[in-house]
Amino acid sequence: MTEYYCVMTFHSTHHSLIFEKELKKRGFKIKLMPVPRQVSSSCGTAAKIPCNLRDDIISICNEENIEVDEVHKIEQKNTKNWFERFLSS
Amino acid sequence: MKNKFKIIFAGGLIGIFGAVLVFVGNPVNMGICVACFYRDITGALGLHRASVVQYLRPEIMGFVLGAFIIAKLKKEFKPRGGSSPLIRFFFGFFLIVGALVFLGCPLRMILRLANGDLNAVVGLAGYITGIIIGIRFLKIGFTIGRSVNQPKIAGYSMPIISIVLLIFLFIAPSFIFFSESGPGSYTAPIIWSLAAGLLIGGTLQRTRLCTAGGFRDIILIKDFHLMWGLIGIFIFSLIGNLILNPDNFMIGFSGQPIAHSEHIWNFLGMVLVGLTAVLLGGCPLRQTILAAEGDTDAVITIFGFIAGSAFVHNFGLAASPKGVPQNGKIAVVIGIIVVLGIAFMVAKENQRKRKLSKEAKGGKVSV
Repeated sequence: MTEYYCVMTFHSTHHSLIFEKELKKRGFKIKLMPVPRQVSSSCGTAAKIPCNLRDDIISICNEENIEVDEVHKIEQKNTKNWFERFLSS
Repeated sequence: MKNKFKIIFAGGLIGIFGAVLVFVGNPVNMGICVACFYRDITGALGLHRASVVQYLRPEIMGFVLGAFIIAKLKKEFKPRGGSSPLIRFFFGFFLIVGALVFLGCPLRMILRLANGDLNAVVGLAGYITGIIIGIRFLKIGFTIGRSVNQPKIAGYSMPIISIVLLIFLFIAPSFIFFSESGPGSYTAPIIWSLAAGLLIGGTLQRTRLCTAGGFRDIILIKDFHLMWGLIGIFIFSLIGNLILNPDNFMIGFSGQPIAHSEHIWNFLGMVLVGLTAVLLGGCPLRQTILAAEGDTDAVITIFGFIAGSAFVHNFGLAASPKGVPQNGKIAVVIGIIVVLGIAFMVAKENQRKRKLSKEAKGGKVSV
């Protein structure tokens, strides 16, 4: 089974921190993470966001002057092996 | 899980080669040291005349060319730049001042730890402190700015410089200096150094391993990925040392190779390194890989390392096993003050700009 999540990248770490603050204030469930390797060879900070809220989140960024670089859709392979599945079932 | 093995493997490769390169001729506890190697290259070019630390270390050229080749193959080579080049130059300059007072970049700090040098524990405490201070500045608004695309040829700077340096190494013209004694005279065979450099450079391009990023990501976003790489360096270097160089292994403060026990200055030197590394977005090792991928700002940072190394030795700031000279202490304090000052002013300016552009959009206008 494949699942998807979206990753938003920024031009600076500072903007990713403002992003986290502003969106948490508005009750969004987002999480900061390192930029996924398949997206870029840079080593900045990105945010994991739900894909369906993408447009809402981008408009909040515009409102708050948070410079968004790109939004990527990432395929999340279900890599759990039988043991992990057993544990989480 | 797969990713975790990959990053531990990448760190392990550095750790093992760190031990192997000592075994085949590099100075003890200095199988790989990015700051020291730039310092040696600076000396070989005659930009400083400390006769004991002059050699064109092929490991550096290996890092660059290994990362360049892989980045090219994977289509990740991207000429870019223009994000505060001058500020980066000064940060690079002062990073080296801190590193040469501690006697090592963060990578050598880990290799020293893995060989029982407890002075590196003091350095590590300073490094983490510097990183925490740097993160505070990221939080209040410090940013080094965004980079834009650059002409292709600019992106090739570092690979071309590396090839020229390799040519100098092979034909050894009379204007290149080679140490006859001291750490600069302890050298692994060129082919070993270059092969290790190429392998490590390529691996680091894939994994983005960074000694500053490891700690930054834990503190900032509670992500342990890069830290596993650092643990890999430590463990494999420890194993490598115990197998290949058991006579050099010794736990303690005194009598450690190319090290001193002035705790305050080991600590403050690495505070300066940690602070500048976080503000620059990467330690010297990572800057080298970025430069190879076409990041011209990282090249400027490396020019900062080279200028810094030249001044450190010309002004007699560098520490030695005898200790830290008075001038070196003053330089570290000045470095910390200057870097904090720059970071503070950039952060304040960004706060002001953000406020102004918000008001211009009609966000919070108070009449």
